[in-house]
Amino acid sequence: MSIHIQNISKSFTSFKREAGLKGAFQSFINRKYETFHALQNINLDVDSGEIVGILGENGAGKTTLIKLMVGLLYPTDGSIHIDGYTPWKRKNEFLKQISVVMGQKNQLWWDIPASESFLLNQKIYEIPQAEYKKTLEELVQLLNVEDKLNVQVRRLSLGERMKMEIIAALLHKPKFILLDEPTIGLDVISQSKIREFIKFYNEEHNSTFLLTSHYMNDIQALCDRVFVIHKGHGLYDGNFNALVNKIKPQKKLIFEFPHAPAEDMIVSLQQEFEFNLIRNVVTAELPDKQLTKLLGSLFKLDDPVTFSVEELPVEDTMRTFFSNPEKFL
Amino acid sequence: MFKFLKKYSAVIKMTWIQTLEYRANLYVGLFSILSGIFIEYLIWKQIFVARGTELIRGFTLNELVAFIFLSMIVGQLKSSWVTSIEMIDAIRSGGLNKYLIRPISFYTYHLMMFIGQNSLFYMAYFTLIAAFPFIFPGLAFTTNFQVFGFLAALFLAVYLSYNMYYIMVCISFWFHEVRALVIAYNIANIILSGQIIPLRFFPEMYLKIITFTPLPFLVDFPVSIATGQLPTDMWASKFFLGFCWCLITWGIGKTLYYFGIKQYGGYGA
Repeated sequence: MSIHIQNISKSFTSFKREAGLKGAFQSFINRKYETFHALQNINLDVDSGEIVGILGENGAGKTTLIKLMVGLLYPTDGSIHIDGYTPWKRKNEFLKQISVVMGQKNQLWWDIPASESFLLNQKIYEIPQAEYKKTLEELVQLLNVEDKLNVQVRRLSLGERMKMEIIAALLHKPKFILLDEPTIGLDVISQSKIREFIKFYNEEHNSTFLLTSHYMNDIQALCDRVFVIHKGHGLYDGNFNALVNKIKPQKKLIFEFPHAPAEDMIVSLQQEFEFNLIRNVVTAELPDKQLTKLLGSLFKLDDPVTFSVEELPVEDTMRTFFSNPEKFL
Repeated sequence: MFKFLKKYSAVIKMTWIQTLEYRANLYVGLFSILSGIFIEYLIWKQIFVARGTELIRGFTLNELVAFIFLSMIVGQLKSSWVTSIEMIDAIRSGGLNKYLIRPISFYTYHLMMFIGQNSLFYMAYFTLIAAFPFIFPGLAFTTNFQVFGFLAALFLAVYLSYNMYYIMVCISFWFHEVRALVIAYNIANIILSGQIIPLRFFPEMYLKIITFTPLPFLVDFPVSIATGQLPTDMWASKFFLGFCWCLITWGIGKTLYYFGIKQYGGYGA
């Protein structure tokens, strides 16, 4: 399912008032409205089978873009075509091919077991009985929730509930799936299981995924391509690792000598490279080329007990990026 | 049509399952209407005794109690204010999203939920209605024609009432918080549609005004058919007028939704 977004803009009008009782009275008598531009001239094309991560700070416009793509909102300007459909016209044929999982909202009936909500979805999406049974079995096995199907939704843990939400969202085998913070609030194991599942499902069904997440590990594990939104503007569209390298091209080197190395050699190396030496262990954060050079020089001094070259934590890198995105692009 | 029925009958089934999940709530719901009827009976009995009269506005005590008994049941069955409050909340808090992203209609889904939630009460009330000829012999349902006429008028009242609440639901697209409006309408509706006191007890002026509104079709019309107070030769014209009100309110709701959904912000998600 291909997506074509052209010059999309969305503005909201809201009223503003000062804090306190006085402000409340003033606003009641004379309400002042202001327009907020949530998205401005966004362009994005996504091919069938891609997993694209949408990145941005809180309030950047990620969720607004998702809502426009599934037809929850009407744009102020621009157009979106998803396999020829205009989302906000909400044709049944289109709605049967999409699905949205919002980490903070649920579609399951709270007071009854999830299996009942699945049956309702079967009727809503007109899924033939045999196909429904097969898909449900497959999803339940993959997400490992066989024993939770007949438990009231409100009695499930957050992780179990999210898995059930994902099952409900995928029963009709949508071609286009939007995941808005799918791992929010989950523990590390549940996060990783959901990531594995998304990857598997995408490969198996060639479905198109759009994903927003504040957990950079989600993005790193799932998305080769990211689209960055900043203050309602599209800022970057491309490879995630390339973006990370652009922001902080350094890698981390840890090199442990068997004995204390000659001090004069270290001083001479420190004139060329920036690194630390504490108790026979060298640590450095350097760009690829420099790091290779330093590693060669260290090997000339002595064979290491152990050494490693690591990527810097992507969360830190992205935090640096979002503090001033224009600086890096 | 078959697919439509299959889809939305599943919603009714779900609401049954949910309602049965909480037995105490169901029992209390049933008990509340019975206690209301009993209180009304005691009040009117005292009024008749105090006035020392056998007739008030052409009603004997038994006729009046039978009329009010049926009015309260009809009033209860047609009132979708709880569903409306849920719908308004869905618009305010972004809960509407889950209906918009699926191939279902917000209007029909909630109509079916309302029917589903109420249908368990329907069964209990219909048992009461079935016992009516024995409790109040000769006062209601004296012919099969009246039974069918009552059922058709009840169906019309339920649908018309749902449409009227739906109009208020759609207003929340602009004003966001309109629950006070629904509650105010609900209270006014209980009195002004003849649910507690028969319409003919109201002043002439009020009766003249009310004939230009859909209110008489909500309670007075089905109950008047059941008790034989509406001559059969007037049924057709009344049904036609009631049907017109259904179309008008449906059209207003549809139009408000069409424009209102463009204002929707999908907040809370």
